Amino acid sequence: MTIAAATDFGSPPATPRDSPVEFAGDRRAFRQLVVRGAFAELLTLGFYRFWLATATRRVLWSSTAVDGEPFEYHGTARELFLGLVFAVAILAPFYLLNFLLGVEAERQKTFASLPLVLAFVLFRQFAIYRARRYRLHRTSWRGIRFGMTGSGWKYAAIAAMRGGLNGLTLGAALPWSQAALERYKMNHTTFGELEGRFEGTGGELFKRGWWLWALMFFAPLAFLLLTATGTKNGFAAASILLITVVGAPFWYATFKAIEWKWWLEGLRIGGMSVSSNLSPRALIGTYWKVAGFLILIFVVAIIVAIAGTYGMTLAGFSMPKAGSKGSIPLPFLVVWGATYLLALLGFGVVFRIYLLRRVWQIVSDSATVHHVEQADDVAARPGSASALGEGFADSLDLFGF
Amino acid sequence: MEAEPQSIFYDGRTSRRHSVTINVGDKLEIVEHGVTLASWEWHDIRRLEMRGESLRLTAITAPDLARLDISDTLLKQRIASLCPVLERASRPTRSAQLRTVALVMLMLISVAGLLWFGIPYVAARVAPAIPIAWEKRLGDVADAQIGKIFPGKTCGSRAGTAALNTLMERLTEKSDLPYAPTITVIRSNVPNAFALPGGKIYLLEGLLARANSPDEIAGVLAHELGHLRHRDHLRRLVANGGTAYVVGLFFGDVAGAGALLFATRELLGAAYSRETESNADHVAAEIMAQLHRSPVPMGELLLRIEKSDDGGAIGLLRDHPLSVSRLTELKKLDTGNHAPPLLTNEEWAALKTICG
Repeated sequence: MTIAAATDFGSPPATPRDSPVEFAGDRRAFRQLVVRGAFAELLTLGFYRFWLATATRRVLWSSTAVDGEPFEYHGTARELFLGLVFAVAILAPFYLLNFLLGVEAERQKTFASLPLVLAFVLFRQFAIYRARRYRLHRTSWRGIRFGMTGSGWKYAAIAAMRGGLNGLTLGAALPWSQAALERYKMNHTTFGELEGRFEGTGGELFKRGWWLWALMFFAPLAFLLLTATGTKNGFAAASILLITVVGAPFWYATFKAIEWKWWLEGLRIGGMSVSSNLSPRALIGTYWKVAGFLILIFVVAIIVAIAGTYGMTLAGFSMPKAGSKGSIPLPFLVVWGATYLLALLGFGVVFRIYLLRRVWQIVSDSATVHHVEQADDVAARPGSASALGEGFADSLDLFGF
Repeated sequence: MEAEPQSIFYDGRTSRRHSVTINVGDKLEIVEHGVTLASWEWHDIRRLEMRGESLRLTAITAPDLARLDISDTLLKQRIASLCPVLERASRPTRSAQLRTVALVMLMLISVAGLLWFGIPYVAARVAPAIPIAWEKRLGDVADAQIGKIFPGKTCGSRAGTAALNTLMERLTEKSDLPYAPTITVIRSNVPNAFALPGGKIYLLEGLLARANSPDEIAGVLAHELGHLRHRDHLRRLVANGGTAYVVGLFFGDVAGAGALLFATRELLGAAYSRETESNADHVAAEIMAQLHRSPVPMGELLLRIEKSDDGGAIGLLRDHPLSVSRLTELKKLDTGNHAPPLLTNEEWAALKTICG
C-alpha cells in the first residue's frame, strides 16, 4: 500500500494549487429545517435544541466544500444532551454558592459577589474554548479529523485579562485582544498532523477598523457635549444620535465583515493559507434584514398579546384592580407566555437563517484556500473530545453573561 | 472482475485522495494501480449522506472515516443491488428514533416529577437544617425591600403599641419559636399581614380597620407565627431556587426558559402554598386553643375580606381564594372560648387607632 501511495499520481511535492471555498446550501431546505425545528422545540419544551443544533451543523458543514470535498460533521444530539446533563450536575454547587453570596452582598450592600461574577466570566470562556474543541473534533475533511489541544483554563485566563484591558482602554485594545485569542485558539488547532497558526495581527485589524471604533467612541461624546452646551445644537445632536443608533446594523455589519476577512486571512494550517475578497459592506444587507425581522416580530407579538388580553377579557376573565396586590389570572399568563415563547422562537429562526446560515454562506463564498495541495497527504492523529464543554456553554448561555 | 471508471477513496488514515477502480466480486475491492487498498464485505457496506450526485460509502469494518465516492451511474446501481443493508448507518432506524423519543419523554416526565414532588420534598428537609442566623440575614434583605415599598409609614401610638405588644407576647409564649419575633404596623389600606424570614411580622392598617375583635387579629398573627415555625419562607426559597435551576438549565434556549419558569412557579406555587397555608392555620388554631380562645374569628375575617374584595386580592388569600373551606377547617379545630378576651376593650380600641 505504501508502495502504491508512493507511485501515485506524479511524485510529491505536488504543484501548488488554490481552491475557492464553495458553499452549495439549499436555502429553502434550511428554512424548513429551522422552522420545523422551532416548533419541535416548542413541543418538547426546548429539548429539541440539541437535535436542531446538530442537524443545522450537519447541513452547514456538508454544504461547504474545499477542493471539491465537503466537510463532515460527526457530532450527535445525544452527546450534546448528555454534556448538558453533566454540566448541570457539576454547576449546581456553584449556583448555590452564587445565591448565598448574592444574599450576603445584598445585605451588606457591598460588591461581595464580584469575585463570583469574575469566576463565572472565566468559566464561560473556558466553556467557549471547550465547545470549540468539541466541534473541531467532530469535524472532518478528506477523511481526517480536525482537533484542538491547549488548556481551556489558560484560554479563560487570557480572555479575562484581555477583556479587562478592553474595558480599561474603552475598546481600543480590542483588535490586539482578538488577535491574542485567535492566536491561542489557532496555535492549538490541528488538521490531522498539520498544525494551525494565526498570523493576523492586532495592528492590521486596527488599521482596517479604527474608524468604526472612533465613531463609536466619539459620537456619544459629541452627543453629550452638544446636548450639554444648550438647545441650539439640538439638530446636530439629534443627527449624531440618528447616525449611531439607527445606523447600528450598518456599523456592526461593517465591523463583522472587516473582522471576518481579517480572521480568514490570518488562518494558517500547515502550509495552507486563506484569502478573502469580503467587502466591508458584504454583511450590511443581512444585518438589516435581521433588524427588520426582529422589529416585525416584536410588533406582531405586542399586537397579539394585546388582542389576546382583550379576548380573555371578553371571555369573562378580569385583571385584578390596579393598586391591589392580587395575582394575575392564569389565562392571561398563558396568553402572554405563549406569545413570548412564539416571539422567541421567531427570533431563533431569524437568527439561524440570517446570522448563522447567510453569514456563513457570504463568508465562505468570499474565501479561497491557497496551497491546498499541502493537505493532499496528511496523516490522521488519534484523540477525541467530550461534549461537556458545549454543555457548560449551553447552560451558561441561559444566564446571559 | 471488471474495471470501472475512476472512483475516489479516502482510507481514513491519511487525507490522500486515491483515484481507484472498483472490483465487484465476492467482496467490494478498492484497487489503485493494481494494488488492492481495501476490500469490504457487501453486508458491511453503508451509505452516507452526501450532497450531489455521488454515492458515498463506508464500511463498518473500515477505519471510522474511510470514504468511497462513486459517481458512475451503472456502478452505483450495481453496488446498491449487492449491499443488503446499505441504508442502515446513514439514517437512524425506526426503533432508534423511537428510543430517542422515549428517552426525551422519560426525561420530561422525570423533570416534571422532580419539580412536582422532588423539589418540595427536598425543600421541606433542607429548610429546617438552615441555621436561624442565615434566615435572619434573608429577613434583613427582605426588610430592606419592605422599607422601600412603605417608606416611613410605620405607625405606633403609645397605647396602641403597648396593646399590640401585649397581644404578641401572649401569642409568642405559645408559639414554640426559638426566637422572639417583632411586630410592626404599616399605614396602608390593603388588608394584609405577613411575616419575613427571621421573625419580622408586619400588620397592615387595612386589616386592623376591618377587624371586629382582638381574636380576629390574634388569629392572623398566630397564623404568621405558624409560617415562621414551619420556616415556610426558606422552604419556598429553596423550592423556587431549585425549580429555577432545573427548569432553566434543562429547558434552555436563552430567555424561553424565563416564561416557562414563570408559569411553573405560578402553577407549583399555588399547590404548594395551599398546603403551607393550611399548616399555618393549624398552628394558629393550636396557639389559640392554648390561650383558650377560638380560631374561628380569623376565618371569618378572611372570608369577610375576600367577599368585599370580590376575589382574594390579598396576600393571605391570594394563592387560594378558598376561605370557606379554611373556615370549615378552623371550626373543626375550635375548642371554644374558655378565657377572657386577649385584650381589654380599652386595649383593643387603642390598637384599632394605632395609626392615629
